[in-house]
Amino acid sequence: MPPHDNRAWLLLIPALALLALVGVLPLLAVVNYGFHDIFSLADIHWVGVEWFADILGSDRFLASLGRSLLFAALVLTIQIPLGLLIARFLIGCGRGAVWGLMLCAIPLVVPWNMIPMLWLGLIDKQTGLLGPAVLASGFDYKETAIHTWILLLTVDTWHWIGLVVVLAYAGLSAIPHAYRQAAAIDGASRWDVFRHIELPRITRALGIVLLLRFVDSFMIYTEAFAINAGGPHDATRFLSIELGEEIKGFSYGQAAARATLYFLIVLTAVWAFVVAMRQKEPA
Amino acid sequence: MTRILGFSALTVFILLPLTQAVILSFTVTMPKPGAVPGEVALANYLAVFADPNLRSAILNSITYVLVNVVLCLAVGLPAAYALARYSFVGDRHFLLLILVFRVTPPVVLSLPIFILFSQLGLVNSPLGIALVHCLFNLPVTIWILESFIRSVPREYDETVFLDGWSFPAFFFRFLIPQIAPGLGVAAFFCFIFSWVEVVFARILTVTAGKPITMAINAMFGFQTDIGMVMAMTCVSLVPGIAMIWIFRNHLARGFILRT
Repeated sequence: MPPHDNRAWLLLIPALALLALVGVLPLLAVVNYGFHDIFSLADIHWVGVEWFADILGSDRFLASLGRSLLFAALVLTIQIPLGLLIARFLIGCGRGAVWGLMLCAIPLVVPWNMIPMLWLGLIDKQTGLLGPAVLASGFDYKETAIHTWILLLTVDTWHWIGLVVVLAYAGLSAIPHAYRQAAAIDGASRWDVFRHIELPRITRALGIVLLLRFVDSFMIYTEAFAINAGGPHDATRFLSIELGEEIKGFSYGQAAARATLYFLIVLTAVWAFVVAMRQKEPA
Repeated sequence: MTRILGFSALTVFILLPLTQAVILSFTVTMPKPGAVPGEVALANYLAVFADPNLRSAILNSITYVLVNVVLCLAVGLPAAYALARYSFVGDRHFLLLILVFRVTPPVVLSLPIFILFSQLGLVNSPLGIALVHCLFNLPVTIWILESFIRSVPREYDETVFLDGWSFPAFFFRFLIPQIAPGLGVAAFFCFIFSWVEVVFARILTVTAGKPITMAINAMFGFQTDIGMVMAMTCVSLVPGIAMIWIFRNHLARGFILRT
């Protein structure tokens, strides 16, 4: 146990001041705006919970919520098993593994607005490397909803698979070699090794992946907006795209109420993560 | 054999979109002095560095990223030390607070931050972006530095204090050299996360101070010179890829969350 000393707060003052300015103040402001109708900053009227009631009662909101949940669920079911598979594969590669890790990390350092641009360039019918394949298969992300979804999921997987691989690899490589040797002597299958030795030791890493990937895919904005701006026919109109539209349309009160609701969803996810992680900790 | 196949499949999937960008960036797509369309040449890169708007965009990006790194390290180091060495009333609440800010998507806070920063006169300036990127970078810095400080035994601090060194002297003369690799790793992740972020960077640069990411968006128009766009994109990838190479053994640290 580290010594108890409340003077440690003095060392936190700079960090707290900075977070108060860029985090806490804006958060309080957004909650406050959510209860007002804002024509301009000089013309603000109290409307109570009207915006919240409007949003929660609208079918459009529920539809977007459903789409965002479905997208997040698909992202998690694709990326977590795939990332684990790649990480296990890299563990078997010995010294070559670091090359695989660096490869997977490359998309993480690409500025977010360039990711959709790179992919749209790749599948461009005239100039893209995959253009001929796109033409031959009749793939049309602009008009066919299922194709937009496939493209978005592919792009998101390309962007974020490195996060899953890097964290899973770090967890897996920390397992002492003796564990696997012992399992091999007992004649355990690959699945048994994964289920009983590896999985219990990477739950923490998986928890982190789950939280980061859930929040980012649930609130996907940059890629989804650049690829089809919510279309075709609202088929990829996710929660964050509705928020972006309201901000661009200057309906600040409603946008603030919406942002508050989204923040509460994020807060719930964080809270669930913290509760789960603290249960795992040795008492 | 399966190993080679697996590695090739992974390589193709990851590198395909980038290959296209690299090829296009070396292909002249619009007439330029001394180069005709279709030719393979450096003309696009020369054009990027000759364009004053793009040059200043590169400079803007570098400025706010570096200011952000310095801010995060300066503010994060004392906080990380406090969390690594002491327990105190509310330490877990502080950890929860920074965890929440780490994962909150920028789009949720973009509206109030824009309003607040325009009242403070921080719109269109690199300082504004540098400050707001601390929202997710400061937690990352604190967690990384805390883990490095924890790996230094507590007895080390106590010996220095017994020798009569003051607290600031301990910080600058002993602690910082001890955890220098940690400062490097933290700086790497602050750099990268700030470099790739676009939602705040867009909303806080209305008329001036545009970063690279926004300058690229502005290059799309009636007649887009796609070769030049891709050259600019490749330029923006260079620092990130260089840093992946330098910090290849620490890639997992940037995505750790503490509770």
